[in-house]
Amino acid sequence: MRLRLQDVTKSFGENSVLRGVTFEVGPGEVVALAGENGAGKSTLTRVISGAHQPDSGQVVIDDEPVTFKNPQAAMARGIEVIYQEFRQNLFPHLTVAENIHVLDRERRFGRLLVSRQRMAREARSALAALGMDDIDVLRPVGTLGVAQQQMVEIAKATSHDLRLLILDEPTAALDERESQQLFEQIRRLRAEGVSIVYISHRLDEIFELADRIVVLRDGLVALDSPTASTGPAQIVAAMVGSTVDNFYPKERNTGDQVVLRVRGAGSGSAFQGIDLDVRAGEVLGVGGVVGCGRSSLLRALFGLEPLTTGTVEVDGSPVPLRRIQDAIDSRIAYVTPDRQAEGLCPDLSVEANISLATLRRYTGPADLVRRDREREACGEVMSRLRVRTASREAAMTSLSGGNQQKALFAKWVLAGPRVLLLDEPTRGVDVGAKTEIYRIINQLTADGVAVVLVSSDLPELVAMSDRAVVMRQGRLVAEMAGDRLSEQSVLEHALVGAA
Amino acid sequence: MSSTLKSVARQLRAVWMLLLVGVILSIASPVFLTSTNLLNVGLATSVVALLAIGQTYIIILAEIDLSVGATLGFSSVVTALVLRDHGLLPALAAGLGVGAAVGLVNGLLVTRARMPSFIATLAMMSILSGMTLQLTDGNPVTIGDYDFQGIGQDYLAGIPVPVWVMVAGYAVFGVLLARTGFGRFVYATGDNLEAARLSGIRTRRVKVLAFVITGLLAALGGFILTARLSTAEPTAGTGLELESIAAVIIGGTSLAGGRGKLLGTLVGALVLGVIDNGMNLLDVSPFLQSVVKGVVILLAVFLDRNVDALRSMVAWRRPPLPSDPSTPDAVPASSPVPAARHTP
Repeated sequence: MRLRLQDVTKSFGENSVLRGVTFEVGPGEVVALAGENGAGKSTLTRVISGAHQPDSGQVVIDDEPVTFKNPQAAMARGIEVIYQEFRQNLFPHLTVAENIHVLDRERRFGRLLVSRQRMAREARSALAALGMDDIDVLRPVGTLGVAQQQMVEIAKATSHDLRLLILDEPTAALDERESQQLFEQIRRLRAEGVSIVYISHRLDEIFELADRIVVLRDGLVALDSPTASTGPAQIVAAMVGSTVDNFYPKERNTGDQVVLRVRGAGSGSAFQGIDLDVRAGEVLGVGGVVGCGRSSLLRALFGLEPLTTGTVEVDGSPVPLRRIQDAIDSRIAYVTPDRQAEGLCPDLSVEANISLATLRRYTGPADLVRRDREREACGEVMSRLRVRTASREAAMTSLSGGNQQKALFAKWVLAGPRVLLLDEPTRGVDVGAKTEIYRIINQLTADGVAVVLVSSDLPELVAMSDRAVVMRQGRLVAEMAGDRLSEQSVLEHALVGAA
Repeated sequence: MSSTLKSVARQLRAVWMLLLVGVILSIASPVFLTSTNLLNVGLATSVVALLAIGQTYIIILAEIDLSVGATLGFSSVVTALVLRDHGLLPALAAGLGVGAAVGLVNGLLVTRARMPSFIATLAMMSILSGMTLQLTDGNPVTIGDYDFQGIGQDYLAGIPVPVWVMVAGYAVFGVLLARTGFGRFVYATGDNLEAARLSGIRTRRVKVLAFVITGLLAALGGFILTARLSTAEPTAGTGLELESIAAVIIGGTSLAGGRGKLLGTLVGALVLGVIDNGMNLLDVSPFLQSVVKGVVILLAVFLDRNVDALRSMVAWRRPPLPSDPSTPDAVPASSPVPAARHTP
């Protein structure tokens, strides 16, 4: 199959994610698709797979323009996607055979009663074709390991007439050996003439597998060239691009006193041996790819995940971190990356959300909330952080994403933290709100707060950090500041280690 | 519309329903609006209304308590048995103790043993009704203590004591829910458990306390019912759990948690009480009464769930244009970038 996207655009509301992408993959070709968070990779795959329809532009298969109304229409043409969260597409309590043939659009196994024997037989041959005959097709999929589950998902795709396979971060959950097995299958499919789109942030994999590499940046193709004539530096430069300098109103406020001191912190397999010193007014950036352990580190520092080894001190006093309350008592605050799931109470008023972590300061006799004090404190922090709302009584859901995020900040600013842990603090907010959030960070550092910043937005990470460390596979692999702190260096350490 | 307006509007629906039923009944029966009859309604409503207080807390926490009726029955017979042998104060203490203990166990089962409250309290209901029957051999326990009977039968300033207890219960627990830190934590925990936890709220403790409150109020309801009848009936609480849940839902509290007001529950309980009373006045067969009540519950919840759709159907108000920038409610909760969540 030769698939071609011609000048495809796609917007969600104000947000244009694809701004005229032309992308082609030929029969038996492996095309790697790379790009930073928000560059448009996922949207592009969703357009190919029929989950999204382009606003303009064309999808052309073998010189024939097509329109997929839904993913089923794309599947009927032999286009399949293995998502990063492929396990969501599997039924853990059903057997391997049932999972592989779960759709059975042609009713091959009977219209009313299903022939399990035939189903098992065909599942076995589908897995055998992948060289995976050691998987028992009668076992429930939930009892298999991750790599085997992924193979089941691939067998599901190949059980139909597969022409184009899209793999989104397929090795994220696999170890080295399992990854190699996967690559073998990908090469086998390529040899059979199946087209492959391979999405990955791991440059070594890209160079190992891909015939051609396409880099997306801000919804445009920033690079499209054969892998053989492309170097890692070229790819990184294409991903990063050039950035507007004054977009980040960074102020330098680093003092001398160490506020947060972490020694030998470890938590199971998530991260080990982490030493950090963050000074008053300093922003310490933590770089690394998704799954490198930096988010777990922040959660552990807030008492959300157990810290199995190591010590944490704030202003010289040890912090026990058995539960969240310990962290709050030690004046550690944490802004979650997922404000919908664990940041805000949608039905509570804006004010009640902001005062939630500090409510005990505004309660008087008989636990009665002193609304006047609460209102005063909330009003002050809301105007300081410029949280805009129709009324402070308004429900949280009536606010825009940016104002919700600022309200989440306001909750923790009100707590008067010494240490502020930020995980993706500008995710899902518009550009104007981003700048305001950077100003809030400046205000806090000016007050001597020590900030730890985790962000997948590399320009943001580099611009807003005074100093940065990079984590890879649960360990600190680099530290950089000043001129040595650049997007390239963070990315190189995060992706390949030795720079 | 702001959230306060919305929640007032929610409760108004229950008030409208109460008024509607009241108007129909006052036309249909000359007796309905007499003060004796209205006090009867209050008296008859008081037990369910007390149970519904705790149930409101539990449902705002996005849980459910199916054991309140059985708790009432069990604590009633324990109270009556202790009263017979040890006197009034030990009896009251024993009844409240049983209620609190049941609530504690329910709360721990839900928070520590991580059992769904539906299952945990369903099992508790079965256990308690069995224990009640075992304890009494299935026979009612009669009460001879005049002081205790007074709880159900005396009048204060012309109003029955149970009505005073109900009013006091709603005042105290209404303030607790709406004005205190604990009340705020109840709403936050029910609205988004994780967000509440990350704000340092001990969500498990909040839930356990709510279950304990519910158990205590069930015991209090048991006192009233036992005192009114001068007997502790082993089956006294049967079905009251469903009545209390119905009162909460008619009162506009969301089963999804995080939303609801205690005043709405009181109105909901009164709606149920008035319907009971009216059907008695109109000599409706007791078998049919249950049918009518079921229909009313369906209607109340149907209206609650579909009021916006109905409103735009009858074009009371033109529906707002989807892209009207002057309605902040139209702003989506999350910005629409499902695109690149898991890519580097």
